[in-house]
Order: sequence, then C-alpha cells, then structure tokens
Amino acid sequence: MTTEIIASERVVEQEVKKTSNTLRFFRVFLARKTVVASLAIILIMIICAIFAPLIAPFDPYKQDYSQILSEPSLAHPFGTDLVGRDVLSRIIYGSQAALLVGIVSVAIASVIGIILGLFSGYVGGLIDAIIMRAMDALMAIPPIILAVVFVAAFGGGLTNVIITLGLSLVPTYARLMRGQVLAIRESDFIVAQELMGSTNLRNMIKHVLPNCISPLIVLITLNFGVAILAEAGLSFLGLGIVPPKAAWGSMINDGYKYLLSNPILSFAPGMAVVLVVVAFNIVGDALRDALDPRLKGTL
Amino acid sequence: MSHLLEVKNLQTHFTVDRNVVKAVDGVSYYVDEGEVVAVVGESGSGKSVTQYSGIQLIPTPPGKIVGGEVLFNGKNLLQLSGEELRQVRGGEIGVVFQEPMTSLNPVLTIGYQIIETIILHLKINKKDARKHAIELLKSVGIPDAEERIDYYPHQFSGGMRQRVCIAMARACNPKILIADEATTALDVTTQAQILEMLKDIVKETKTSIVLVTHNLGIVARYADRIYVMYAGEIVESGTTKEIFSSPKHPYTISLLNAIPRLDDPKGRQLIPIDGIPPSLINKRDICAFLPRCLHRTAACSFKPAPKLESVGGNHYTACHEDIKAEAILEVAAARAAVENSSTEIFHHRQLDNENLLEVKNLKMYFPVTKGIMKRKVADVKAVDDVSFFIKKGETLGLVGESGCGKTTIIRSILRMYEPTSGEVIFDGQNIAKMPKSKLRPIRKNISLVFQDPFSSLDPRQSAGSIVGEPLIIHQLTKTKQEYENRVNELFELVGLNPAWKNRVPHEFSGGQRQRIGIARALASNPSFIVCDEAISALDVSIQAQIINLLEDLQKKLGLTYLFVAHDLSVVRHISDRVVVMYLGKIVEVADWKSLYENPLHPYTKGLLAAVPIPDPFVEETRDHVMLEGEIPSVMNRPNGCAFINRCPMATKECSEVEPPLVETEEGHSVACIKVGKEVGL
Repeated sequence: MTTEIIASERVVEQEVKKTSNTLRFFRVFLARKTVVASLAIILIMIICAIFAPLIAPFDPYKQDYSQILSEPSLAHPFGTDLVGRDVLSRIIYGSQAALLVGIVSVAIASVIGIILGLFSGYVGGLIDAIIMRAMDALMAIPPIILAVVFVAAFGGGLTNVIITLGLSLVPTYARLMRGQVLAIRESDFIVAQELMGSTNLRNMIKHVLPNCISPLIVLITLNFGVAILAEAGLSFLGLGIVPPKAAWGSMINDGYKYLLSNPILSFAPGMAVVLVVVAFNIVGDALRDALDPRLKGTL
Repeated sequence: MSHLLEVKNLQTHFTVDRNVVKAVDGVSYYVDEGEVVAVVGESGSGKSVTQYSGIQLIPTPPGKIVGGEVLFNGKNLLQLSGEELRQVRGGEIGVVFQEPMTSLNPVLTIGYQIIETIILHLKINKKDARKHAIELLKSVGIPDAEERIDYYPHQFSGGMRQRVCIAMARACNPKILIADEATTALDVTTQAQILEMLKDIVKETKTSIVLVTHNLGIVARYADRIYVMYAGEIVESGTTKEIFSSPKHPYTISLLNAIPRLDDPKGRQLIPIDGIPPSLINKRDICAFLPRCLHRTAACSFKPAPKLESVGGNHYTACHEDIKAEAILEVAAARAAVENSSTEIFHHRQLDNENLLEVKNLKMYFPVTKGIMKRKVADVKAVDDVSFFIKKGETLGLVGESGCGKTTIIRSILRMYEPTSGEVIFDGQNIAKMPKSKLRPIRKNISLVFQDPFSSLDPRQSAGSIVGEPLIIHQLTKTKQEYENRVNELFELVGLNPAWKNRVPHEFSGGQRQRIGIARALASNPSFIVCDEAISALDVSIQAQIINLLEDLQKKLGLTYLFVAHDLSVVRHISDRVVVMYLGKIVEVADWKSLYENPLHPYTKGLLAAVPIPDPFVEETRDHVMLEGEIPSVMNRPNGCAFINRCPMATKECSEVEPPLVETEEGHSVACIKVGKEVGL
C-alpha cells in the first residue's frame, strides 16, 4: 500500500514533466507571429517548387514577342520581361533552383563539416591540427571568389554552384561541431563509456553526435537562407545557373537595366529572395531559442 | 516584545510554464538580536527563496511575493522602494552565498569590491574606507591584509574567498548576516574554521546569523534555534536542543535517522526516507510529507495541511498526530526487518583474505612545462609513492580534503591516466602498464560510480540503453530477449521500476539517476566498484537510500568497494578500512574502528574534530580543536613532512625527514615521526 502511493505519485509527476517539455518547445517556437508567418512563407516556397507546373500561369520559357516588357496586369501580375516571358511564372520556377541549391549545398556542407568536426574534436592532436588549419584556409577565401575560381575552371551551371557553395560552408560546420564535441567529450558519461572499454567510433557516433546536434540543426536552417542568397548572388554575376533556366539572381540581373522604366522586373525576384532568406533566419532563431535557451545569441 | 526580523505568513510563488510553484507557502519566523538561527531543509524546500524574498532578491518574473510581511526593525521590507531597500540589503542585512568562486567579480581586486560597498553605504572617503576594509579582512582572519587587499579573487583559495565574502557582507556592520549554504562547498576543516569565526562574530558584535543549510551537524554545533522546512513550509521549529532531543515532526525524526553519525554504533542501519521530495507545482492543501511519512494515518489524507502548533514552549510542529521518535523508529525497524530478514548484519560479512587490488608505489606526476619548446621544468606530484591493498569483499574508504590526490588515484587505477610508475595489481595482473587492447576485457570487472548523477548519464539515451550499454560493449548477452531480461533484472536490483526503461535521464530525480548509474556499473557483473563521491551530490534524505543500496548490493553480490568521499561520517559508516591522504601521500591507514576511535596522525585527529555531530548535547562536550590553515598547493609542497605548516606537534626535525608510513600495531599504519616515537618505534 505504502509503496503504491509513492509509485503513483512519482508517475504523476513524471507525466507532468514530460508533456510540459514538448509543450514548452512548441510554445517557445511558435510564440511570435513572425515565426508562423515565416513558416508559411517557407511552406509556400516549397509548394511552389514542387508543383511549379501546376501553379505557374504560363510556361516560364515561352517567349511572347507581343508582350515585351509589359506593365503589371491581371494576366501578368509582375509584368513580362525582355522577351515576353511571364515574370510570376519565372519566379515560381525559380524557387526550384533556390530550393535545390539550398538543400543540396547545405547537405554537402553539413555532412562533410560534421564528420570533420567530430573527428577533429574527438581524436585531437595532429589530426585536429591538420583539419582545422585546412578549414581556416578555406574560410580565408571569400565564397564568391571561390565560386569565381571554381566556375572559371569547371564552367557554370547548377551542379557547380551547389558544389562551390557546399564547400565554402564546410568550415562553419566543422568549427561549430568541433566546439561542441570538445565540450561533450569531457563529460562524465563519455568517461564512463571509456571505462567500459567502448571503442572510439562507438562513442563518437552513439554518444557524442546525438548530443551535439541541436545547435547544428539551427545552423542548417540559417544556412538555407545563406545558400539561397549566395546562389542569387552568383546567378546575378552570371556565374550561377545558366539561362534560360529560371533563377532569381539572374532575373534580377536581367531586370536591372530597366530599373527606372520597369522596376518590377528586378523588384519581384528580389522580394522573393528577401522574403525566403528572412523567413529562414527567423525560423532558425526561433528554433535555437526553443531547442536550447542557453544558445541565445551565440550563433 | 518585538523581534529584529519578523516574517509573517510569507508567500512566494513562481510561474513556470503556466503552472504556479508555491516555493514559499505561508512561512512565519523571527530572528532576535545576537542569535544564530538555522533554516534546515533539502534542496527545493524553499529555504533560500524564503531568505531572498525578504530582501527582494528573487527574480521577478517568474517569481512573485503574493502575501505576507517582512518586518525588520518595525519596517515592512516588502513595501520599501528601491533606494530604501538598497540601504537595507548590503547595509543592514548582509548575505554570504554558497559559491565563493562566482560571488566575487574576477576582474576587480577584492579591496575594490569591499571598498565599493563601504563607500556606498557608509558614505566615507576612500582612504578611510580602505582602512576599514583592511580591518574587516583582518577580522575574518586573512593574514597580511594590508598587502592582500589588492589581490584578485583568483589569488585566494576557496576558503579564503569565502572569508572575503564574509568581510564584504559585514562591511557596514549588518544586524543580520544570512549565510546561504556558505560552507557547503568547502572542505570540512575550512568549514569548521569559517563557522567558528562566524560564531565569534556573533559573540563580539551581537550580529544575528541566519544559517541556511542542509547539514544537521553544523546546525547542532552552532545554531540556537532551528526552523525545519519541507516543501515550502516550516514543519517544525524550536530550540536546537528541543528539536534534537525530542523531534516531533515525522520529517525531522526521519531526517535524523537517515544520516550517519560519527558516533554511531557501527551496525546501525540507516533508515532512509522513501520516495522523493514532492513537486511544488500546483500544490494541494494537504500535508506535503504525507506520501513519505511512516506515521501517516488514513485520516491524514482527508485533512487540510496541518498548521504549526505549539507542543510546549517555543517548540512548534505541523503534524496531525502526536508522534514520538520511538514510534517511528519501531515502524521503520519492523519494515527493515521484513526487507532484510534473509541478510545478515553488515559487519558480520565474511572477508576473504585474498587481495583483490594491490597498489604498489604508485606515482602520478604531471609535468610542468614552460616556453615554446615545452621544456619540462618540474613535476606536480599529485600522487607520490602510494601503496595500499583492498581485500576481496571489503570496503576501503579513501578520505582527505580536496586537492589531496583522491581523484588522481582513482583515475590512475582506472587507467584514465597513465601512471608515472608503480604497480596496480588487479586480480593478479598488473594493469598499470598494460596496453589498452589487453585492458579492454579486464574493464568489465571494474566499474566506476560517478559523483554527479546529472553529467554521468548520456542525456539523449533512454535509461534502459544506458544500463544495457556495457552488455553490448562486452557482448555479454546473446539474444535480444536475454538483453532485455538482464536490463530488467538490473533495474529491479537497484530499486527502479523496469517500466521506466524508455525514459531519458532528465525525467528522473537525482537519487533515481544515481541508481541508474549504479545499475550501469553493475551490468557487466564486476567484482570491484569504485565509488567516487557517489553520494555527495545527493540530498540528505536520498543519501541514506543510496548508502543502503550499496551495502545491500555488496551483501548480495559480494562486491568490493573503493569508496572515495570527503564526508567522514559516511566513510565510517560504510568502510571496513580507511586510508587518509594528505597532499598526495597516505598519512594513516587503519581499520575503521582504530582509525575513528584511536586516530594517531595529527591530521586525522584534526579532520575528525572538524566533523560536527548532529547532536547538540554531544557537541557541547567536544572540544573544538581547529586545524589551522589550509592544504597547500601540490606545487609548493613543504620539505619533510607535508603537514608541517598545520601540525600542532611539528618541530624542527619534522622538516628534515619525510616521515615513512610505519605500522604501529597490526593493520594500523601512520606516517608521522612523532607518533612513531610515542608508541616506541
């Protein structure tokens, strides 16, 4: 009888704790309206990218010489460009390139960076020194210069843009990961693993990695925005996605010659970039606050 | 008669995740001039929040003082405005915090920090303030105060820093000094020094002291009156003697039975308090101690929470029943008898004569390097030529102040460090220099139980997989089913419900986590377990549970323990033999009885004298010989006997030879040339 009472009390308490933890995450995460709005923007972008052919009112590549540089109208909300293509449709299709670049380059960067950082931090010594100096060297080159060199050597196009951006983002991940690993490595529970005779690989993958992941998730979210912005920058310089494929950066470039007469041509794709990048940043910040309040302001 | 400080029906609530936590729930108490009042309770009982509410040091939000009044010299502190309040706190009420490391600003000299307070409150010029600061430092026992006033906090040891904090709190001659666990982080000898000093301050200046602590020994030795807090309420109050001689509240009674004492009979079974302290979220109007009470009746669960009622004079208790300590003891004894009917009493355990572990001339030096080339300039001799053995099935206690090399010894034995020289013979094999690959299979026979139940468990893994980890690493179970069964078995062994396997560590309380840690240590069926301060991070009422668990496991599984701790009462309770260390060397080894009843080394004597016994009547008869000074840094170890600077017996010849460890009688060795002479060796 006595033990039953105690046991049930404990269970009740544990349940309270558990629900309040998940609740806390969502409460903090969705506390601000801007976060909800940002999530909506990202969702719309993803839907646009996936269902572009269904959503876009026109074929983004169909040139219509009767409609060159037309003003915004009901049929063409953002007008048409130099060769009469519908700007709205091109923006919708442009989200495909943006999303692809964002996801793949960040995936490349995070996977390579996390592996390097994990080894560097856990093994230490000479390996650590070599990896980190390599990362420093990579970081010293501005991503745009790196991209210029890369594109000059291997030619433009989606694949090369992705590879370049992926590589230039690697050091951030490696450094963040290494810092996390160094802290976790000293914890008693890793000491406990070593005393059990566990192998380094097992410790790294099973115990260190899961405990380092939450700031990395935040960084990944923030980097989607960075990658999309960089892709736009490269495309604007003509180093990115090869026309006629729709990309927001190259659309801004196409339109800026008519900035005075027809500003909507640059303004519309520009807004798309700004909205998406800001949305990813806001979501990243909110995610950080919700996942780990201690990280506030450190990323 | 009006009191210096009178708190009436104070209510402090915190809002956490939209739930109301009643951290302080209708607390009333008073403090008179020149009194030492102790507020005792476990962590989370609201003892600190009560103190801070009065001077409005609680963060708002989430905290809020929703009711009551705090009368100080007739003024209600809760109604004071910012400026008036600032004059009171720091001026008339001083606070000394627990962590001397963080309560001083590391980038300012201590002098600057003290003078700042003085100028702020006493409005005198800088030169006088400095003079006053030097006097204050002298009064708290800081040598060379004129020079040291310009030191930075990091240039002081923990104990010295706490003295500085006290000097700062006393800067404006406060009427009340609140010491919030002020000595908890300190070594037992330093703790005694600081408390004796506070006692002298009370005597000389009529300052009142509020001791906030969980240590009943300190309370018995120093307090005049006691308030016992539980779950945000005062459950018992009275003079120290009343409370210790006839405790009335079942919580107080149970608490006194749960702690080991230096003067216990050896076989005494600790009577732990079941369960864990209640969560204060959405508290109901019912006795808070009810689920853990050994004396509850069916009626208790229907009555509203009991109010404090006098049980004679100034002795108040909040309980529905009229309870005598003996009655509780009987209930507990009856229960213990049922639980332990099959097991024999601890000290009748049969000891093998075979050594399980033998450490021979173990040395662990850390090189001190200098310059770009990392030239070695000196060695830090963290462990210097230490030899001892542990017999199969026994418990060896290892004690000493912080910095004496206890942890380094453990780490060298466990091969977390590579020992500089010496042998560690475990079960017949020397593991000190064994290559890591050969060591791996031996690891499953040695386990470690960590001090901190929070950092020693992987926060991302479920309790079940934490406990099962050694089984996987050493491939001890063949099938999935076998693995699950073994994990369940381990959970039951340490008193956890196997249904909780899928929970992650943060869903458990501190004591439960330590049980998980013990279950993990047991998983690979080791013969030898090292407990590194395994219970010192736990609450008093939980400590007894874990001590009993460790003892039970030893009986059931025939384990051998190396029990490292700084709490001498606990070590006495659990150990068969005890090793006392000082500055990397063993100063005394003996079985528990001769060590505690007939300590030979002056250091051991000093340590034992510094441990307070939770009984004011015993404390009155003890003479408090204080060990002077603090343990020096290993870097500048004195010549000859390392203890020379603090030893009351030291003479010139002590500085000439390093005293060897000699056996004075069978099984009792001591490293002191004076003692050696006395017994005629």
